[in-house]
Amino acid sequence: MTRAASPRLEGYAIVVATGLLAALALRRPELAIVAAPFALVLAIGMRPAAAPRVDALFALEAERVVEGEEIGATVAIRTETAVDRLELLLVLPREVEVIGGEDAFALRLQAGDERRIAFKLRCRRWGIHNLGEIELRIRDPLRVVVWERTIAGEHRLNAYPTTESLERILPPRETQVFTGSEVARTKGDGIEYADIREYVPGDRLRAINWRASARRNVLVVNERHPERNTDVVLFVDSFADVRRAGRSTLDDAVRATATLAARYLERRDRVGLVTFGGVLRWLHPGMGPTQRFRLVETLLETGVEPTYTWRDVSIIPARILPPKALVLGVTPLVDPRFVTTLADLRARGFDLAVVEVDPVRFVDPGTTELERLAYRLWLLEREVLAARLAQLGIAVARWDDAVDLQTALEGVRTYRRRARLARV
Amino acid sequence: MAGLSALTLVEAGEGAGQVGARLVMLALVALVAALVLGWSVLLPASLLLVGAAYALHLYVDEGFDVKAPLFAAGLLLAAELGYWSLEEREHVRSEPGEGLRRLAFVAGLTLAGLVVGTVLLAAADLARAGGLAVDLVGAGAAAAALLLVVLYARRQSG
Repeated sequence: MTRAASPRLEGYAIVVATGLLAALALRRPELAIVAAPFALVLAIGMRPAAAPRVDALFALEAERVVEGEEIGATVAIRTETAVDRLELLLVLPREVEVIGGEDAFALRLQAGDERRIAFKLRCRRWGIHNLGEIELRIRDPLRVVVWERTIAGEHRLNAYPTTESLERILPPRETQVFTGSEVARTKGDGIEYADIREYVPGDRLRAINWRASARRNVLVVNERHPERNTDVVLFVDSFADVRRAGRSTLDDAVRATATLAARYLERRDRVGLVTFGGVLRWLHPGMGPTQRFRLVETLLETGVEPTYTWRDVSIIPARILPPKALVLGVTPLVDPRFVTTLADLRARGFDLAVVEVDPVRFVDPGTTELERLAYRLWLLEREVLAARLAQLGIAVARWDDAVDLQTALEGVRTYRRRARLARV
Repeated sequence: MAGLSALTLVEAGEGAGQVGARLVMLALVALVAALVLGWSVLLPASLLLVGAAYALHLYVDEGFDVKAPLFAAGLLLAAELGYWSLEEREHVRSEPGEGLRRLAFVAGLTLAGLVVGTVLLAAADLARAGGLAVDLVGAGAAAAALLLVVLYARRQSG
C-alpha cells in the first residue's frame, strides 16, 4: 500500500498557511480563526496510522469464451481493518467491457468483512486478454490521505473468433490418399458413379452392371469415384491491417479463417495454417478436433507486427505446404509482399484461391482534392491488381459487408469450374 | 459561497465593496471552473479569493468581527462540498445511503468547525487586552503550525 496526499490536503494546507500569515500581517486574529477548522482537519487527518490491510482476489468463470459472449467474473474482498471508503477499479483491456458499464465500486467495510462483487464481462474482439488487474484506493473519513494499491492481473482469457455458417466450401483440385468427404476424380471404391469398363478377373461380382452387360453381351463393371480427404492450407496475411471504427481487415480475416478451418475439418480434411507477415507462424496440416483447437489457439496470436524486410515463400518450410494442397489466401491485398508471394505460389503450381477481405470499406475517400485523387488512384491500382491475379489464374473472392462469405466463395467456385473446363 | 460573499460585502463601504465584489466574482468563476473542468487546484484559489474579500472587509472595519466563526464554518463547508463534487467526477458507484451518510458527516464537520472557531474567538477576545506577551504567544503558535505543515509536506515529497 502506498500512502499519498489527496488534493484536499494540499488545498487545506494552502488555506491554513495563507490564513495564518494574513492574520500575522494584518494583526487580525479573525483570519486565524478562519484558518483554524482547516488546520484541525489536517491535524486529525495527517496523524500517523498503520496501512489498511485489504486484499482482493479476482476469479473468472472460464478461461475460454467466444467473442461477443458473456462471461462471469468475481472480485472477493477481505479486510482486516475498518475502511471508511474502499474504491475498487477493475482494469480491463480495451477489447473487454463490463456489461452494465460500471467497472468501479465503492464500499464501506468493517474490520474482518468479506465481500464478493460479481461482474459480467464481454470480449468485443477475439484474442488473448490478460485480466485480473485491480486498483484499490482507500480513503480515510476526512479524505485527507489516500492509500493505493494495484493488484497485478494474472488471468488469461482466450476469446475465440466467431464463425459463420458455410454450406459449401471450395473443393481442391486434387485429393489425398486417405478417406474423406471429397469425391475424388480418380476411380475406385466409392458411392459416386464414375464410369463402366469391361470385367477383368479380380473384380467384385457386386460391381457388375448387369443391365449394361446384357446390352453389350460382355460383362462390364461400374467404376466409382472414391471419397478422399484433401489437404488445405489457410494462408493468412498479417503484414497489414486496415482499421476503422472498431473494425479491421485482420479481425475479419481471422474470423473467415476460423470459419473455413472448422468447415474443412468437419469433412475430415487436413488443415494447416500459415500466418505470413512480420512474424511467421505455421501449423502443420492435421485433422480432427485437436487440430481445430491448435488452429484457433494459433490464430489468437495473430497480429500485425511491422517489418520492412522482404519476405517470400522460401522462408516457409516445405512440409507446411504439401503438394496437391489447396492454398487459401485470406488477405486484404494491401501489402505487395503478400501479393508477390501469392504469385510465387501460383507459379510453383499450387492450387490457389484467395479470399479478399475488402479494405475499401475501411478507407475514408478524403476531404481535400489531393486526398480524393489519391483514393481514386488507389482504387485503380486495386483493379489492376485484380486483373493481374486473374491473368495468373488465381481466383479471388471479394468479401465485404454487401456479400457474405458463402456468396463470395460461390464466385470462386464458378471461376475455378470454368477454368477447369477451359483447360479440358 | 454566495452566503460567504454576502457576509463580506454587506457592511463594506463603497470602494472596498467594489474591490470585494470583484474578488468574490473571481472566486465564483474559479469555483465553477474547478467543478466543471475538474481542476482541483482552482478550488483552494477560490477559497483564498473569498478569504481575501473577508480580509479586505476586516481591514476596512476596524472592530472585532464576531462573525468570524460563522465565516470559518461556511468556508469549510464550501471546501468540503467542492472537493466532494470533484471526487464524484470519478464515476465510482457507491453503496445505497452513502450520499446521506457523507452529507451528515460534512454537516458534523462544519458544526465542529463552528465550535472550534467560537472557542478561539472567545480566547482571542480575552487575549486582546493581553498586550505584547499574548502577541508573542500567538505569533509563536502560528509559526509552529506553519512549520508542522511544511515538515509534513517535505516528508510526503521525500
